[in-house]
Amino acid sequence: MENITLRNINKYFGQDISRVHVLKDLSFSADPGEMVLILGPSGSGKSTFLTIAGGLQTPDSGSVFIGNEDLTKLSNKKKEELRLNKIGFILQAYNLVPYLTVKQQFDLVDRVKKTANMPREEFNQVIQKLDIGPILNKYPDTLSGGQKQRAAIARSLYANPDIILADEPTASLDAKRVKEVGGLLQDLAHQYQKTIIVVTHDIRLNDFADKIYHLDDGLLHLA
Amino acid sequence: MFLAFNELKQEKLRYIMIIIMLALLSYLIFILTSLTLGLANENTAAITGWNVKTGVLEKSSDANLRQSLLTADQVKKLTKDSDTAVVAETSVVTKDKGASKISATFVGLNKSQFIAKELQITSGRKAKTSSEIVMDDSFQNKDYKLGQKVSLNDSSKKYKIIGFTHDAKLNIAPIVYGSISTWQNLREIGTNFGGSGIFSKKADFTTSVKNTKAYTLKEIINKLPGYSSQNMTFSFMIGFLMIISLVIVAVFLYIITLQKLPNYAVLRAQGVPSGFLIRATLAQSLILMIFGLIAALILVAITALAMPADVPMTFNLGLTAAVSAAMIIMAIIGALIPVRMIAKVDPVSVIGG
Repeated sequence: MENITLRNINKYFGQDISRVHVLKDLSFSADPGEMVLILGPSGSGKSTFLTIAGGLQTPDSGSVFIGNEDLTKLSNKKKEELRLNKIGFILQAYNLVPYLTVKQQFDLVDRVKKTANMPREEFNQVIQKLDIGPILNKYPDTLSGGQKQRAAIARSLYANPDIILADEPTASLDAKRVKEVGGLLQDLAHQYQKTIIVVTHDIRLNDFADKIYHLDDGLLHLA
Repeated sequence: MFLAFNELKQEKLRYIMIIIMLALLSYLIFILTSLTLGLANENTAAITGWNVKTGVLEKSSDANLRQSLLTADQVKKLTKDSDTAVVAETSVVTKDKGASKISATFVGLNKSQFIAKELQITSGRKAKTSSEIVMDDSFQNKDYKLGQKVSLNDSSKKYKIIGFTHDAKLNIAPIVYGSISTWQNLREIGTNFGGSGIFSKKADFTTSVKNTKAYTLKEIINKLPGYSSQNMTFSFMIGFLMIISLVIVAVFLYIITLQKLPNYAVLRAQGVPSGFLIRATLAQSLILMIFGLIAALILVAITALAMPADVPMTFNLGLTAAVSAAMIIMAIIGALIPVRMIAKVDPVSVIGG
């Protein structure tokens, strides 16, 4: 299992007078077995943090390590491979392919990533915990927002990544489901030694986190 | 293929509509191609059936058989070899009581030369005298029968139909084969003129006879009245239809891909290689075109069965395969713009940040 480390990350958007310093000399690390919450208001740089941590954006300065590998020095192809094998994204929207059933979303992972997906028995437990068994043969457009989000979480977990980066994973879930998803993410961290990073402003997840950071105006500090 | 097939299954209506459009376009292209081939065949069936490679015509005729007039002396000098034969061509109208008037091409032959000797008769026999004629078998559909006596143009003389032959067409008109003397009578030019042109089986047949010039078969065929312009018109129509099908594939795939870009962006974020998504789009384009082509071919087969024999359509397996291959290439080209969009999709655009 890999840890993730961000060192002295700076990120700017815009130019000249409209230049904004979004992440300010940000350093951060999370280890396997940890569930970390990054809380912050809209526009605080949460999504930028997440995309840089996942190798989707390059910082203007600083480095991002997944284990010993510096993401900022990898080619796009290598980054793609790394995301496929080691990083799982859970996003707010567009997580599911609209013309595939929930089960086929997992088949898609099998086709793209042919090895080392989550063992069937372990995954059955995830299915049970997320209560997606009854919707396995349904298409996304027939699911509620909560069902879609739970299916997306399951798909992300199915690829069995070391690190899970989640962007507002509980945004469309009710309190009961928030507890279930929070509990599941916590279990994954603790039982399966995954590194879980959740950016959110949903404080209902606080109880499940091992560490909570606040991101305000590009500055990250431990709560 | 996995993404392509599942999307087609789930979005049936949308894709069936695209397939119907591609099928109709492909159908139109197949029909136009078969018409082009059919009409080209009706222009040249007789000449190609003679198995000749070269022709010598009057120098000022500009390779146009109908404009060429050779003197008897020129014909005599140019037909010394056994692989040469004179052809004397003119337009005629055939008529007889009880049968329709038909515009035809009269071709006078010398019965001792190879074209007359090698003429394939489907019923009856070859002409032996100048009052006997052999007709294209399409005359049989217009109530012309063996043994019947017909007149040609306004001539009072009657000619006996002694045989029928297949695929005897020149310039989209059925041929009436007769003798050189009949041609001389029809054209009222006396015996000083011996024919329109001399054809040879040899590719290197040349002429040193004054006021004559040798042409390749292709040059003579291209100068048949209307032949080149007709072929060009059809080729343009087929070309434009192919471009239209390319545009249809490109526009539809562009719109569909545009709608799917956020999903593709998330898949790219999750490490799904762009090659996987590109292959899915190419597969989708190919599946659409292949289904469209299959539907079009079924329609073409039904059309071929229902079409009256008079319609000059020729269906050719090789040409059909070539047109299908061209359409598939159009589908691949049409998918290039969406493929470029997928290759350039930025996951950050969906996630934000």
